[in-house]
Amino acid sequence: MSKRLNAIERRASIIAVAKILFADKGFHGVSVDEIARRLGVSPAVLYQHFESKQALYEAVIFEMADQRETYIEVVLNGPDDFASVLLRMSLVFADSVERDPDFLRMEMQSALENEATTQQLFINRWKDLTDYIEFSIRELKQYQAVNITDARLGGLIFKGMMREILYSKCVIHDPHYRAYSVKTLVGNINSRFLNAIGYVEPG
Amino acid sequence: MSNYTEELDARGLNCPLPILRAKKALNVLASGDTLHIIATDPGSVKDFESFTRQTGSELLESQEISGEFSFVIKKS
Repeated sequence: MSKRLNAIERRASIIAVAKILFADKGFHGVSVDEIARRLGVSPAVLYQHFESKQALYEAVIFEMADQRETYIEVVLNGPDDFASVLLRMSLVFADSVERDPDFLRMEMQSALENEATTQQLFINRWKDLTDYIEFSIRELKQYQAVNITDARLGGLIFKGMMREILYSKCVIHDPHYRAYSVKTLVGNINSRFLNAIGYVEPG
Repeated sequence: MSNYTEELDARGLNCPLPILRAKKALNVLASGDTLHIIATDPGSVKDFESFTRQTGSELLESQEISGEFSFVIKKS
């Protein structure tokens, strides 16, 4: 027999189940009836908490946005140079996606479905990382500490490599990379990225 | 004339850049000196609360003025 949940617990359970379904099938691939069925309740119960499927989808997205990484510890616990901070930031980001890969699945679904509002939220989650790279490259260029000319392209290259690692390891679980941990791969692309942009630590 | 020892313009920067720059600016200040920071990232409000709590510095001021966030940190 299922336990009777209070309103807060019920809302949280609806969001948790909806997140899994939206991540697997996208916004358009899931109906309110299916979410209700998975929860073992009637659609009317869902509508008591969310006025529409769109409202439920937004609640899922906003909950994910609230869980955005904080990089305070990254800054406080270690050296301040570009290479060290970038490695620690990318490990924090990768760890968070590894713990909850639904984020990446929903990002991909959102892109396929051309959901402009939600796409912006997903872009924002990457933005801390890409902005850090862009601003740092612009600064480092003044000291001839990098040889890449386009800082924005640098951010995009790094994001592409990170996303591919996380996609291969956390979304499709590609057996070809089974021997590598996410941490190992992230460490590896950090070194290769620094080589590619010609990074030398400013003296 | 400014009432602060040092000023930091972190407008247009996202986490962790404002924190990183504040940390570097505080490193060269003496105990009791103050750092005034202006930022535009709404996340910086929580970030600077957390930063001062963890570093033992004092957050003397944290306010929003016309979409910008102003912080004053006193170095411990």
